Amino acid sequence: MAAIAMTPCGDFRQSYREDTTIFPTRLSRHFAIAGVALLCLVPLTGDRYVLSLMIQMGYLGIAALGLNILVGFTGQISIGHAAFFGVGAFASAWFVEHGVPVLLAMPLAGVATTAVGMVFGIPAARLKGLYLAIATLAAQFIIEDFFARARWFTGGVAGRITQPPSLFGFAFDSNETYFYVVLVWVVLMFVAAANLMRSRDGRALVAVRDHYLSAEIMGINLTYYRTLSFGISSFFAGIGGALYAHYILFVSVEAFTILFSIQFLGMIIIGGLGSVMGSMMGAVFMVMLPEVVQWFADAVAGGMIDRALRLGNAVSFLREMVIGAAIILFLIFEPDGLAHRWRLIKAYWKLYPFSH
Amino acid sequence: MTPFRSMLLAATAAVGFAGPAEAQQRIPVGHLMDNSGPTSDVGVPYGQGVADALAWVNRRGGIAGRQLAVSGFDYGYQAPRAIAQYQAWTQRERVVAIQGWGTVDTEALIAFVTRDRVPYISASYSAALTDPTGRAPRADKAAPFNFFYGPSYSDALRAMIIWAAEDWKARGGQGRPKYVHMGANHPYPNSPKAAGEALAAELGFEVLPAIQFALTPGDYTAQCLTLRNAGANYAYLGNTAGSNISVLRACQTAGVQVQFLGNVWGMDENAMKAAGVAANGVVFPVRTGVTWGGDAPGMAAVREISRGGASAAAEYRPVHYLAGVCSAMLMVEAMQTAAADGGQVTGDRIREGFYARRDWVPQGFEGVCNPSNFSAEDHRGQMNVALFRSVVTGDTTQGSVAELMRAGTMRLEPVTTITLERRQDWLGW
Amino acid sequence: MNWELLFQLTLNGLIVGTLYGVVAMSFVLIYKASQVVNFAQGEFLLVGAWVCWWLLTEHRVPFLWGFLVTLAFMTLFGILIQVVVLRPLIGEPVISVIMVTIGLSIFFQALMKWMFGVFAQPFPPIFETQVVNVMGLEVQSVYLMSLVISVAIMGGFAWFFTASKHGLAMRATAFDQQVAQSLGISVRQVFAMSWAISAVVSAVAGVVVGVVNGVSSALSFYGIKVFPAVILGGLDSILGAVLGGIIVGVLENVAHFFDSTLLNWGNMYQIAPFYVLVLILMIKPYGLFGTRTIERV
Repeated sequence: MAAIAMTPCGDFRQSYREDTTIFPTRLSRHFAIAGVALLCLVPLTGDRYVLSLMIQMGYLGIAALGLNILVGFTGQISIGHAAFFGVGAFASAWFVEHGVPVLLAMPLAGVATTAVGMVFGIPAARLKGLYLAIATLAAQFIIEDFFARARWFTGGVAGRITQPPSLFGFAFDSNETYFYVVLVWVVLMFVAAANLMRSRDGRALVAVRDHYLSAEIMGINLTYYRTLSFGISSFFAGIGGALYAHYILFVSVEAFTILFSIQFLGMIIIGGLGSVMGSMMGAVFMVMLPEVVQWFADAVAGGMIDRALRLGNAVSFLREMVIGAAIILFLIFEPDGLAHRWRLIKAYWKLYPFSH
Repeated sequence: MTPFRSMLLAATAAVGFAGPAEAQQRIPVGHLMDNSGPTSDVGVPYGQGVADALAWVNRRGGIAGRQLAVSGFDYGYQAPRAIAQYQAWTQRERVVAIQGWGTVDTEALIAFVTRDRVPYISASYSAALTDPTGRAPRADKAAPFNFFYGPSYSDALRAMIIWAAEDWKARGGQGRPKYVHMGANHPYPNSPKAAGEALAAELGFEVLPAIQFALTPGDYTAQCLTLRNAGANYAYLGNTAGSNISVLRACQTAGVQVQFLGNVWGMDENAMKAAGVAANGVVFPVRTGVTWGGDAPGMAAVREISRGGASAAAEYRPVHYLAGVCSAMLMVEAMQTAAADGGQVTGDRIREGFYARRDWVPQGFEGVCNPSNFSAEDHRGQMNVALFRSVVTGDTTQGSVAELMRAGTMRLEPVTTITLERRQDWLGW
Repeated sequence: MNWELLFQLTLNGLIVGTLYGVVAMSFVLIYKASQVVNFAQGEFLLVGAWVCWWLLTEHRVPFLWGFLVTLAFMTLFGILIQVVVLRPLIGEPVISVIMVTIGLSIFFQALMKWMFGVFAQPFPPIFETQVVNVMGLEVQSVYLMSLVISVAIMGGFAWFFTASKHGLAMRATAFDQQVAQSLGISVRQVFAMSWAISAVVSAVAGVVVGVVNGVSSALSFYGIKVFPAVILGGLDSILGAVLGGIIVGVLENVAHFFDSTLLNWGNMYQIAPFYVLVLILMIKPYGLFGTRTIERV
């Protein structure tokens, strides 16, 4: 009901089909398209640093979206997401090693990761809450161990070198060109996720989250949907991993640690659980936070505050502490995440001057 | 004056002014370090060594009159931060060389530095970085722009195994000595595993199945008991200092009699203090000819570097500090070669500078930095490995490292220097 | 079959397992009382270890006094954390609170490195004899100390939760917060107390680990070891936590025995607890002693 109350006058729906559009209003659809067009122009500025940050936000955002589908929309918990991200990265490198062109290897890697995800999703049917979380923690360690031992798949502990994507001989191996590859995938995956959420299966997932007993009574097969949710979330993680692999051009087991899994959780919690846009906002936050803090640290280093407190080398410790404190403070003041804050800001402006 | 002549005069003036202006231009260098992350216990002294050495070079006039613009960044051992910083460096500062740190940043940046032609001098001594062409029989990647000062992990282990074979005979050991590799199932400890086990088998050791223990401190009594049960004579500790300390203490408690072989990052003065008497007798490679306080002509320069350092003037500098100094000086001399006769200091020319000398010891550091030899087909700089033994005779819990070394409670004794054959079939692994 | 080695390893597992049990106990205490999953448990160990080390080396305080002062400090520390950081989050979704504890762990890791440096430091010798021979196995005396202390703590908890007013208040709050409040129990005080006790118990474990391995920032990884123990035993059972810890300890060592003598895979020490965890969860989804929540529509 609230959504309908927020649409401006004149933007009315005359059929169910119109009511279930991905973008709630015509204006928001235009903004989204304009936003993507604007992003297409960013590589023309040529700043590799900014582009590398945005590429990172891209592949982390896709993987975070997958985790959000699992945690935010279906109500499960997973602390093993980095392992699935790693499966996608290694799978893509493995396919490329065996002659598959990179642009085809990426979706194949997603499919391979889905298969692995569904295997781990089967026990999820019986477990709830924290028990499920710890089971996924176990999955993280087990998969990490598998990476270290399976030389045929991951190159063992030496890691695997892989190639950048190429189309008709043109290689996407610089930040400027790879940005477009990532942008295409981000648009595809986000639209796919939004589409999933408005479909029957998406509603079933939300029903499983909200009150699974009632959902079961209504005829929704809990085991099927929980496993499906793991599978979908792993697909997204796999795509994210494949994009990561073909950007860094080197995949090593060292990158997929428990800390990385926790970072993904952080992204969706800060971005907003159960929100497609929130996943990207959370990814942006987590990528930008160390950079912003580093920028402050550079500004402070050598300056008055540095000399007054005699910080010197301790600036790096301060940086970590500020990151931890920023996460804590953010959650104290906005526990529902950035997406919720964004909705409140939009509502304020839409209802101005009658908002309170 | 005709227009042409005034133009000629203006052009000459421009060139005349541009000459000295060019000489004032600073040389941008990147420096990645870990001062706050999981490897900071060894990263801090190494990073200080590099930074202090580069600052010293600047105080003495820089490279051919040009100062180094060193951009230091603490990336906390997180690869994404290193990658983002690298992008900023190549974009904005346009660095011509980078002093790197560990496995995670070095390997993440191999493809990038090769593409951008920026020499990367790492503190990761993985043998996989030593093959510039990628054509060696067991190599799997080409790393033409990766260099490091010191023997690779694999070569260091090979040297220790050769020493172990000699030590076994000298001790009058009967039968075949038993060798076991201990470490986590992780890129860093596994880097020299295959090389070590292969050479051990070649030299007549009985190679026992490897024993695993994690990179974090914990209770490793089980590993020590199996070590004792298997009757191992020589055990290589492949992990970093933190967990090696746990194993040494657990094995001391369990009463295990084994000759431990350490690795460059797994044993140093701080680890000796933390492990106490349990660390007594560990044989490990040292990348420099002497340790701090040793007697060598080059120590005068090192002491000068240490005195003027940006870090707090320390009474004692661990082995990693000296290695960092030598690593930085290699880069500096390669740049000097590139800048000779007014040449441009670019990544390619610096790389050529690495190949320019034979038995290369940076000037002024004789006896401290060991000779290195790089060539376009072989980036194994050192095939001579200096082995030292850690001697701890008393309680190390009171007093700083400096005080303990001064009192003689902790000592580093040179054992021997093993010269390895530059075998082609050993390249890259 | 090398029976002697197996026996020694099992014994070692039992002794070390009580240490895991202590850590698991502190974790379950917080979860049981306030439904919070404390990802910063490892950092509690770390803070306790560093504070005790500092008192013993910088100020040359005798061990007993230093230990007691550390415990007192950790009580205040636990209360402070609860009041400053977690009280504003009462009522918020559990997952936000989990993220806050993760933020806390990042914060304290960096703070400890700043205050005490990045190098590992050894603990001064505490006991006259460092090593004791127990049935043929050489064990560090500090482990025996931890065994004694953990039995004492368990006994104390048993009395506390059945006979004392505050313990009963804690159980009531864990069962149903609203009913407990309606009976006049101050839920805020109960939370603060549970965090304080948990911090104290963690400090004990931290000091033990510090004595054995030296104090370094990697000590906080013991916090991750606690998760399989806690799940094995059941999340809301303190007895289960202790038993879970002992099971994990014995499992690690026995798995290593089979690995080193028969299988030679190498990694069973690290990974066997996780495999067993997954197996047990398939059979008993609430762990061995956890309360099975009865689901009603």
